[in-house]
Amino acid sequence: MLHYAVRRFALAALIVFVAVTAMFLMIRAVPGDPVQIMLGPRATPELQARLTAELALDQPIWNQLAIFYGNLLQGDLGVDVFSGRPVTSIVLQQLPYTLELIVASILWSASLGIALGAYAAAHPNTLIDRITAAVSVAFVAAPAFVVALLSLLVFAVHLRWFPAIGVGDGVLDRLNHLVLPAFAIGLSWVGYVARLVRASMLEVMGENHIRTARAFGLSERRIVMIYALRIAILPVVTVIGVGIGFLLSSAVFAEIVFARPGLGKLVIDSITTRNYPIVMGAVLVSTTLFVVSTALADLINAWLDPRARSTV
Amino acid sequence: MSKPRSELHLILTGVARDPLGLMGLIIVGTIVFCALFASWITPHDPIGMNIQDRLQGPSLTYLLGTDQLGRDTFSRVIAGGQVALKVALPAVFGAMTIGLTLGMIAGYGPKWLDNLLMLFFDTIRSFPTVMFALAVVALVGPSLQTVVLVVMATSIPTYGRVARTQTLTLRNSEFILAERSMGASMARILGVHMLPNIVGVLAVLAAMDIPTVIALEAGLSFLGLGVKPPTPSWGALLKDGYSLIRQTPWLVVGGGLPIILATLGFTFLGESLRDVVDPKLRKQR
Repeated sequence: MLHYAVRRFALAALIVFVAVTAMFLMIRAVPGDPVQIMLGPRATPELQARLTAELALDQPIWNQLAIFYGNLLQGDLGVDVFSGRPVTSIVLQQLPYTLELIVASILWSASLGIALGAYAAAHPNTLIDRITAAVSVAFVAAPAFVVALLSLLVFAVHLRWFPAIGVGDGVLDRLNHLVLPAFAIGLSWVGYVARLVRASMLEVMGENHIRTARAFGLSERRIVMIYALRIAILPVVTVIGVGIGFLLSSAVFAEIVFARPGLGKLVIDSITTRNYPIVMGAVLVSTTLFVVSTALADLINAWLDPRARSTV
Repeated sequence: MSKPRSELHLILTGVARDPLGLMGLIIVGTIVFCALFASWITPHDPIGMNIQDRLQGPSLTYLLGTDQLGRDTFSRVIAGGQVALKVALPAVFGAMTIGLTLGMIAGYGPKWLDNLLMLFFDTIRSFPTVMFALAVVALVGPSLQTVVLVVMATSIPTYGRVARTQTLTLRNSEFILAERSMGASMARILGVHMLPNIVGVLAVLAAMDIPTVIALEAGLSFLGLGVKPPTPSWGALLKDGYSLIRQTPWLVVGGGLPIILATLGFTFLGESLRDVVDPKLRKQR
């Protein structure tokens, strides 16, 4: 297990390294003066001079890369073009809002999806199973930002059940502000998780240990809830790990639509003001987050199911 | 009748027999038809302004009302379908071709090349799609071509990985071994014998990928980072609708419903195709 964990994280580190290097080279590959491009037209000459020195643009590209990584390892992602504040602290300030939204979305959609999937698998080919299947497909198809806009229109603007913008103050108000964005992001996951759990549940229900449990005369309810579900849930762990990337993407839209602070809003605002250090910093942090969560999901999976350890 | 045609015929009847598949076929057919004949269907010029009639509700003249510049929303929805397909089809086709080539090389080539290509695929996949798109748009500026390129780049790994797995499975099958023992060249083995066995699976994947691509294009245009105004795109409609959401619901509805319909149609069609072409795939997703 330790061997697997080390190899899996080495791979994750390698991927982050290649991704960050690719991003670094991409900025250099765009024609024009990199300082001009990164700082935009409104940067002061002092800032331009400082960045030129910092990036060592007069040196060969490999030295520049080394310096870039030197700064990165010290947690230095550069400075905001306008305020001069370090990018790291700006990004870390916005990150919790995005994480809060993602966690809320996963929690409600995965629990509902697992419940629906387990119910459908326990009662296969009944009317409810068919309805769940059809609704799942319909939900999977709905892109998060369209759902966000439509729910904003219906529940915030017309029915006025929930607030339209911001994050709110205090626990209850914050939760109230989370409802619509988390609904929009999570909706497509309900169907996805439900189908996944249903399929893996049906497979598990056919296995020997379930037959044994039946032979012992355990109640159907107990078999489903205690013995089948805990195994059937495994694929959901992997899917959620990989899904963090999709959730991060959906969160960008939800933050724009509901005017919430967060990584996505930060990036969009920074693109419109051509504040490249922040864009790059935020993309880097979200990429790392994604890679780490995928690796963690693989680890959890390997811990729960030893057969998965052989593949890296 | 030649063999490929009868196979296509079989696949189409198979899809049409499945109720969801038939529904997908009808929706996709309608969208493609509207996109092809957009200029005949649109009752008004999709970018023609008529300020006196701005922000109207649905009427017989304006089926879905008008926007803040008095442009006919229905005409813009129809023309928007054209833009969506103009982005989705080249992007999906390009990604499929490149992914197929790289995937077959990874599956058939030496181990180090395989590792290198897999690392390349994993790296692209490690960027959250929208974040990657935003970074690229920030650097090179928004345009239709940028959207196509970004979308293409992000879906290459999906095709590449599937093509690689298929190649690896086929590589040791008896008919390939027989070919090789008869001295067939690598190009012949890959192009003549393996390709036809992989393309079907990838085509199914492509049909299921189109909704993602359409949603991504619409999403970028919604953020103002996709196709530029006044080009009518579903995402641009939503962008206008969002800023006017307290004045009129029709722009959000007009931009949102076609996206949902298109994703539904292509998903139904893709799933039904998959079940007909290769039922084994069902488990892998």
